[in-house]
Amino acid sequence: MEEEIIKNNYTDAQKSRIFDQEFMPHINAMYNFAYRLTLDRDDAKDLLQDTYLKAYRFIDSFQEGTNAKAWLFRILKNSFINDYRKKSKEPAKVDYQEVETYYNSEDVDRQITPDLRVESLSNMIGDEISNALNALDVDFRTVIILCDLEGFKYEEMAKILDIPIGTVRSRLHRARNLLKEKLSEYAKSMGYKTA
Amino acid sequence: MNDPSKMKHDCPNQKDCLQLLQAILDGEATKEQKEHFMKEHLDSCMPCYQNYHLEVAIRDLLKKKCTREAPQELIDSIKKQIEQNLRA
Ligand SMILES: [Zn+2]
Ligand SMILES: [Zn+2]
Repeated sequence: MEEEIIKNNYTDAQKSRIFDQEFMPHINAMYNFAYRLTLDRDDAKDLLQDTYLKAYRFIDSFQEGTNAKAWLFRILKNSFINDYRKKSKEPAKVDYQEVETYYNSEDVDRQITPDLRVESLSNMIGDEISNALNALDVDFRTVIILCDLEGFKYEEMAKILDIPIGTVRSRLHRARNLLKEKLSEYAKSMGYKTA
Repeated sequence: MNDPSKMKHDCPNQKDCLQLLQAILDGEATKEQKEHFMKEHLDSCMPCYQNYHLEVAIRDLLKKKCTREAPQELIDSIKKQIEQNLRA
C-alpha cells in the first residue's frame, strides 16, 4: 500500500460515494477491531472516529476497486500503535522480538499441547471465549481477529501489520495455541473434563 | 464415515499436521494439500480428526461470541463529521 501511493483527485461527489459505499460498510468490523485492541469502549469510539476521519483525509491515496477493508484496517492498526498503545493501561511492552523468539521456541510447542475438547467448548455459552481472546497479548489477539473473525488472507494480514508472511503464519499458529491454552484453563476451572 | 477402531491414535507429525490443517481452514493451502489431508489423513488419524473439529468449533465460537456492532450514535456522528468536512 505504501509502496506506490497513487494520488487521485476525487471530486467531492466521488469522495462522498467512496466513503459511503466503500468505507462505511466496514464500520462494524472496524469497531470490533478497535474494541478488541483497546479493550475499552470509549477508546474504541475515539479510535474508530480518528480512523474514519483519517481515511477521509487520505482518501486520495485510496485506489477505487482495491481492498477498502484492508486499507481501513491498516490505518486503524497504525493509529492504535501510534496514539493509543502508548497511553493504554497495558503493562509496558516487552521487547516484541523477545516475545516472538520465546514463543517460537520448540520448548513452548512441547509445553503447549492443550487437551481441549469440542464438548467443553459447547458449554462455553458466556464470555469465556471473548475473555480468553482479550487475555492474549495484543499482537496475538490481532492475528486471530484478522484471520478468524475478518477472514483476511495471510498476504493481506502481512500488509496490514507490516510483517512478513512467514511471521503472520507463525504468529497465528502460536496465537491459536495460546488461545486453546486459555480455553482449556477455563474448561478446567468450570469443571469440564478436558482429557 | 470413518471407523474409529481403524484410526491411528498417534500422529507422527502432529505439529506439521496442525499447521497444515490451519492453512486449509484459512484457505491458504493448495488443492493437493487439501485433498490429501481431508480425504486421506483425516479419516485415518484420530488426533488430527479431533483437531479438525476443535479448530472448526473454536472458529465458530469466535464468530458467534467475539463480534460487536458499532453504536448507532457513533456511526451517525462519524457521518456527520464527514458531511461537514465535505461542505467546508
Ligand atoms: Zn495426523
Ligand atoms: Zn499428515
